[in-house]
Amino acid sequence: MMSSKKEGRFSVPELLEFNWRMWSFVLLLLLAGAVLFLNPVNPYHGYVDPFYSPTVFVIPIVALFRVTCYAYRKDYYRHVFKHPLACRADIRGEKDNRAYSGERTLFALNNFHRYFLYAGILILPFFYWDFYKSLIWQTGYFDLRLGSLLLLFNAILLTLWTVSCHAFRHLTGGRTDCYSCKAAPQFRKKFYLGQSFLNKFHENLAFISLVVVIGVDIYIRALMAGMPLDFTFIKVLL
Amino acid sequence: MQTVKLKIQRSEPSSGKKVSYDEFEVPVEEGMVVLDAVHYVENNLDPSLAVRWNCKAARCGSCAAELNGMPKLMCKTRVDTLGDHITIEPMKAFPVVKDLVTDVSHNYEVAKKIPPFTPKPEMKSPFLINQIDITRSKEFRTCIECFLCQDVCHVIREHHSDYFGPKHVVKIASLDLHPADCIDRSELLYHEGGLGFCDITKCCQAVCPEDIRITDNAIIPEKERIVDHVYDPIGRLIRVVKGRKW
Repeated sequence: MMSSKKEGRFSVPELLEFNWRMWSFVLLLLLAGAVLFLNPVNPYHGYVDPFYSPTVFVIPIVALFRVTCYAYRKDYYRHVFKHPLACRADIRGEKDNRAYSGERTLFALNNFHRYFLYAGILILPFFYWDFYKSLIWQTGYFDLRLGSLLLLFNAILLTLWTVSCHAFRHLTGGRTDCYSCKAAPQFRKKFYLGQSFLNKFHENLAFISLVVVIGVDIYIRALMAGMPLDFTFIKVLL
Repeated sequence: MQTVKLKIQRSEPSSGKKVSYDEFEVPVEEGMVVLDAVHYVENNLDPSLAVRWNCKAARCGSCAAELNGMPKLMCKTRVDTLGDHITIEPMKAFPVVKDLVTDVSHNYEVAKKIPPFTPKPEMKSPFLINQIDITRSKEFRTCIECFLCQDVCHVIREHHSDYFGPKHVVKIASLDLHPADCIDRSELLYHEGGLGFCDITKCCQAVCPEDIRITDNAIIPEKERIVDHVYDPIGRLIRVVKGRKW
């Protein structure tokens, strides 16, 4: 029967399971954090590395915004904790003798996602500002280079990922049950539907934007190392 | 003639018959679905095979089973999409009655706990609802109660928790998002429904034969409503000021 959990059965606590995926993931995060903090990138030829914009101290906030995001939650619960690894019976990697508390204990902290969303929204304009500054980094010139376009591409992807967020969806329209009871119902509903369309791609945007932000960081580090990867599209005297 | 090998799980707990697998070879016809193949077995090879079905049109949700380990409707899954060998098992999250027939009555017990549609006091029958308000909760009305989402949910299937399950969150969301309803059932989901157990791994959404975006449109909005009430300090403050309990 659909009984409650069997009494008296011992299960290893969730975070103490022999789980190479989890410990590898933790190690990877620690290494990535150490690399970012110990090897900061200063502005180079007008380019500001997105990890350090506007300051290095945004890294923990952005990291927590990512970690508490519904898209990443799904992926790390599946691929790091195997709760479950997949939907099919033979490859689920889930067993009934494993301890499981879901988002009721430690991972209940994921419910504070919306506060990191607010912080993320505040940080977004800096990426566009960085793009603008990269265009006019030489006094008196407008200089459109490959790196500037990458900064813009990164800023757009981060914006799309942020506004397609489930918490943003809830706060900007999802919590409303009766649109016709509120002011501007057509606008509210259209905004909600438009945001819901973006929300369908939230997982894709989450990973594409992560790869691109890391890619831009590596690109700027490569430029600093002297690699000839940048070129100018337009350079005009203002 | 092309054939397909079916490996069907057999058991009957009430008469002590333990789990075993029988293999059958079935001729394949064009456009054949798995339920056709099971009917061929039932009619020609082994009449004692127990299978529950009704409409054969993916409307009633009766023929839910696990095909090669994946919860699916037998009437909606073509044989040629599964290869030459098909393993058919009953839904593992529910107790077996016989062979492919499971006892899903637990779901009806849970459904009784959900407060029914309760119109706002100021609304007079017949209810006139603006189209702009109704589209969102309509999606959930397409649920055919096949319980595939309940079957694939690891919280129910492996961890036997008190979580209501995706199907019931869909039901609750259909009522909570209804513009004429005046009850907030997220409190029930938080205290009794065990929504905190759900870790949004989206298997329920993946198996839904009606393509309801269960996690994105029902579970996460309900989780966010709980966040409004429980985890959001600003929301809590507003509630205290307004003198509301939930």
